[in-house]
Amino acid sequence: MASFDLTVKYAGEGGEGVISSGDFTMKAAAKMGYEVVTFKSFPAEIKGGYALSQVRMSDEKILSQGDGFDILVAFNGEAYEVNKPLLREGTVLIWDGPEGGDFEPEFEELEKKGVIMYAVPMSQLAKKEVGAYITKNVIAMAATFELIGMPIELLKEEIVAKFSKKGQEVIDLNFKAIEVAQKYVKENIKKVDPYKVPGPLPKKDVIIVEGNEAIALGALAAGVKVYAAYPITPATTVGNYLAPHILKTGGYVYQAEDEISSMAIVIGASFSGVKAMTATSGPGISLMQELIGLASMTEIPAVIVDVQRGGPSTGMPTKHDQADLFAAALGGHGDDQRVVLAPTNVEENFYLTVEAFNLSERYQLPVLLLTDASLSLRAEAIPTPDINKIKENLIERPIVRKGEVSPEELENLFRYKITDTGISPFLAPGESPKPYTATGLEHGENSYPRTTPKERTEMMDKRFRKIKNIEDENPHLVEWDLGDLQEGEKADITIITWGLTASIAKEAIQRLRNKGIKVAALYPKLIYPLPAKAVEKAASMSDIVLVPEANYMGHLAKFIRMFSSVPAEKIVQYNIYRGEPFIPKEIEEKVEEILGKKVQA
Amino acid sequence: MDIQYVRLEEKLPPREYKSSLESTWCPGCGDFGVVTALTRAFSDEKLDPTALSLVSGIGCSSRLPLWMNAFGLHSCHGRAVPAAVGARLAKPEVPVIVTAGDGDLFSIGMEHFPHAARRNFDMVVISMDNRMYALTKNQVSPTSRTGYKGSLTPYGNLDNPFNVINFAIASGATFVAQTYAGNPKHMTEIIEAAIEHKGFAFVNILSPCPTYNKLDTFKFYKGRLVDINKELGHDPSDKQKAMELAEHDYDADYNPDAKVPIGIFYKTEEIPTFEEKVEALKEKYKPENPETVWDDILSNYKV
Ligand SMILES: Cc1ncc(C[n+]2csc(CCOP(=O)(O)OP(=O)(O)O)c2C)c(N)n1
Ligand code: SF4
Repeated sequence: MASFDLTVKYAGEGGEGVISSGDFTMKAAAKMGYEVVTFKSFPAEIKGGYALSQVRMSDEKILSQGDGFDILVAFNGEAYEVNKPLLREGTVLIWDGPEGGDFEPEFEELEKKGVIMYAVPMSQLAKKEVGAYITKNVIAMAATFELIGMPIELLKEEIVAKFSKKGQEVIDLNFKAIEVAQKYVKENIKKVDPYKVPGPLPKKDVIIVEGNEAIALGALAAGVKVYAAYPITPATTVGNYLAPHILKTGGYVYQAEDEISSMAIVIGASFSGVKAMTATSGPGISLMQELIGLASMTEIPAVIVDVQRGGPSTGMPTKHDQADLFAAALGGHGDDQRVVLAPTNVEENFYLTVEAFNLSERYQLPVLLLTDASLSLRAEAIPTPDINKIKENLIERPIVRKGEVSPEELENLFRYKITDTGISPFLAPGESPKPYTATGLEHGENSYPRTTPKERTEMMDKRFRKIKNIEDENPHLVEWDLGDLQEGEKADITIITWGLTASIAKEAIQRLRNKGIKVAALYPKLIYPLPAKAVEKAASMSDIVLVPEANYMGHLAKFIRMFSSVPAEKIVQYNIYRGEPFIPKEIEEKVEEILGKKVQA
Repeated sequence: MDIQYVRLEEKLPPREYKSSLESTWCPGCGDFGVVTALTRAFSDEKLDPTALSLVSGIGCSSRLPLWMNAFGLHSCHGRAVPAAVGARLAKPEVPVIVTAGDGDLFSIGMEHFPHAARRNFDMVVISMDNRMYALTKNQVSPTSRTGYKGSLTPYGNLDNPFNVINFAIASGATFVAQTYAGNPKHMTEIIEAAIEHKGFAFVNILSPCPTYNKLDTFKFYKGRLVDINKELGHDPSDKQKAMELAEHDYDADYNPDAKVPIGIFYKTEEIPTFEEKVEALKEKYKPENPETVWDDILSNYKV
C-alpha cells in the first residue's frame, strides 16, 4: 500500500492559470521523486469556460487519475458549484475568500459533511498586495504548497524556468505573490487536515511527459523522417512537440493543407523509402480513409495516430471518448489490411508508437495508434527510455538495394512477390535497381493491374497472410493480469478492456482483489486484428466477461462478438459516454453489483 | 543549398522509359503523345529510371505511370500532388513528375495544387487536359467549355471554364506553360524546360479525347495554335502579359477565328524551392554531435 496518495485539483475559469497551476504542482511533485498522474479538462474555447487540472501524487505507481480529490482549489463560483457534490468528509476546500472572490461556500452544509475549508483571498491579495491580478493562480498554488508542505523552492524553480524569457520583473512579481501567499497562510490559517507530503524520495531516472509528447518522442526514437498533419484538437500537440526536435534528426514537420493531403504525403514519402507519420483526431480519420486503403493495397508502411475525442462530427473536441475503434479498424472500403494499437498509459504512448513503426515496416501496411483526449494531456513520470535498445530492435523495411542482386535475381524481383509470409521485397526510388508502379488497382506480382479471379484471390490471400499470425508473432502486445489466480483456477469475473480505461480498471481490480474477489483481466494493446486466442482464453476463465469502455456502442465488446468465439451471452457491456474517463470506483462497484446480483439469483 | 537530381552518365534511348505493359487507352488518344514526349524528355535529361518518380491520381490520363519504366505511384483520385509532395520531402534528389487529368488536378484535387505551387516544390505537374472526364464516360470537368454536353449535362455545361494557366500563375507556380499533344516536338521541349526548372513547374497539355470529346479535337486545335514565345515574342518573365495571353483561349469559346496560345507563359527562378529551404533548415539545426542528439532531446524532459 502506498504510504501517501494525494490528489490536488485546481478548478476555475479557462485562461486563469488553472492548467499551469496543475502543471507546476505536477513538476514539483515529480522533482520530489513521487509518481505523478495528471488529469486535465478544458473547453474547446480559447478563453473562459470551466477548466480543471488535477494532480495525483504518490510514492507508488499510480494507475489512474483517482476517484476524486483530497484538496480542491476553487478559483471561482462555477468551480465550486461543479465540484460541490464531490466534497466529502475530510476533503479540503481552498476558496477565493473570505472576501474578493465571486462566491461564498455554504459553510453550514459543508461543515456538517465534514469538509475542511480554508479561505485564501486569492483575487484580493493579487490585486491589493501584489498589485497584479494575473498572479492569482500563483497565490493559489503557493498557498497550497505551504499547506501540504511542498517545498516552495520547487515552485520558484518552475517560475524561473517558465518566465526567464520574460525578464526579471515578471519573475520578481511572481516571487512577491509567493511571499504574500505564504505570509497569509502562516498568519491566518490553522491547518487541521492530514494532507502532507513526505520528504523527498530517492531520485529516479525519469522523464516527465504528456501523452502526446510521448508519441512525438516515440516517433523520433523510431526514426520518423516525414511528419505531415493538419491541426486538430487533441492531436495537434504531437506535431508541436516534434517540430523543435525533428530537424536535429534529419526529419521535417510539414503542416499540410488538410488531412487528406497529410495522408497522401505520408504515402508519397513512405513509397519513396522513408518512415512517415501523421496524427489526427476523429474527423481527420474520416477524411483519410480512402488513402489508408491505398496504403493497404499498395503495401506501403504508414503510421497514423488517432487521438480520439468525443464524436460524431465536431462533437466534443476537448473531451474524452473511445469511440473511434470501428472507424480505425473498419473504416474505408473493401477488405483492407491494417493494424490498430491502443496504448493504456503515457509510457505506452511512447513504446507503442515505436511498435507502430515496427509493425508497419514489418508487415508493410498502415498501423493506427488509437489514443484519446485524456491520455493526450495526462502527464506521467516515466523511466527514461533506453534509445540504444530501441534502435537495436527497430524493424527495417526489406528494401532491395542496387548491387545486392544478381542479374538472374533481378529478373525475378517483384514488388508484390507472392511469398509464404505474404511479405514481399520493397523497392524504393533512388535505392533499388528495378522500378515498379505502386497502384491502388488490383495487381499481379509485378504490380501490373490484374483482375482475373485467380490473381485477385491470390493477391488478397497474400495481403491477408501478412497479418494472419499477428497475434502469435506479437504476444507482447497482449497484457495479461491474473493476480493470484492459479493455472486452471476459475475467476469470479473476467475484465477485458482497452486504452485509458485499462489503466483505470487496473486500479479497480487491485481493490477488488484486496476484497477477495478473483478477477482475471486482459488488456489487448493489439486491438485489431483482435487477438482472439487470448480473448477466448481470458473469457474461458469465468462465466462473465465485463467490457468497460468510454463509448456508447461498445466497440471492443462488439469486436469480441464479431472476431472471437466467446459466447455472446457471457459478455457484459459497461459503457459511459459523458466525455470523461471512468473513475476506478465505478468499475469496482459495477463488478460488485454484477457479482452481488449473481449471488442473489 | 543546391539540390541535384540523380542523372545517368549516358543517355538511355527513349524506349527504355516505356514499360512492357500495353496501354489501355483508346486508339488516337492524345495521351499517347504525352508518353512519347516524356520518354524523349527523360532520355534527353538523362534521368535514371531507378531514381525517378511519376505520381498520378485516377483517370484515363493518370494511368500513364503504369506504361512507363520508372517508379510510379498511381494514387487516389485527386491526390497526386500531395503524394508527390511526400516524395519530394522524402528524397529531394529524386525528380518527381505528376501526370494527371484536368479533373483530377482541378476538381477533386483542387485544394492541393495551389499549396504545392505557392510553396514552390521542385516538381513538374502535367495536366493532361482533355477538357472533360473521360474515365467515368463523359462528364464536364473544370476546364470544359460552356455548353459542353456531358452525360450529366445533356443540355450543355452551364459553367464557365476554369483558366488553369492564370490559376497556376496566381497560385505562385514559378514555371507555367501550355503545350499540345499533337506537337511532340513542342511538348518535349516544354517538358525538358519544366524538368530543368528549379521550382514548381506546371505544364498544361491540351490532349484530345477522341472517344468522348467531339469539340476539343485534334481538328479543332489544328491551325489555331500560336506559339507565344516564337510567334509573339512573349518574354516569360512578364507576368502581367502572361496572364493577358492566357485569357485568349478562354475568350475564344468555339469561335472559328479563336487562337489557342502555347508556350512558356511565365517563369522565374528567383524564388527558392521548398526543398532548398528545408535542407537549409536541416543544415542549420544539424547537431554538433549526432551521437548525443537523443540525450539532448531527453534532457528537456528530465526532472
Ligand atoms: C473518390 C473518387 N471519386 C470518383 C471517382 C471516379 N473517377 C475516376 S476518374 C474520374 C474523372 C477523371 O477525369 P480526369 O482527371 O479529367 O481524367 P481523364 O479520365 O479525363 O483523363 C472520376 C470522377 C474515383 N475514382 N474516386
Ligand atoms: S476515353 Fe478518351 S481520354 Fe480515355 S483513353 Fe479513350 S481517348 Fe483517351
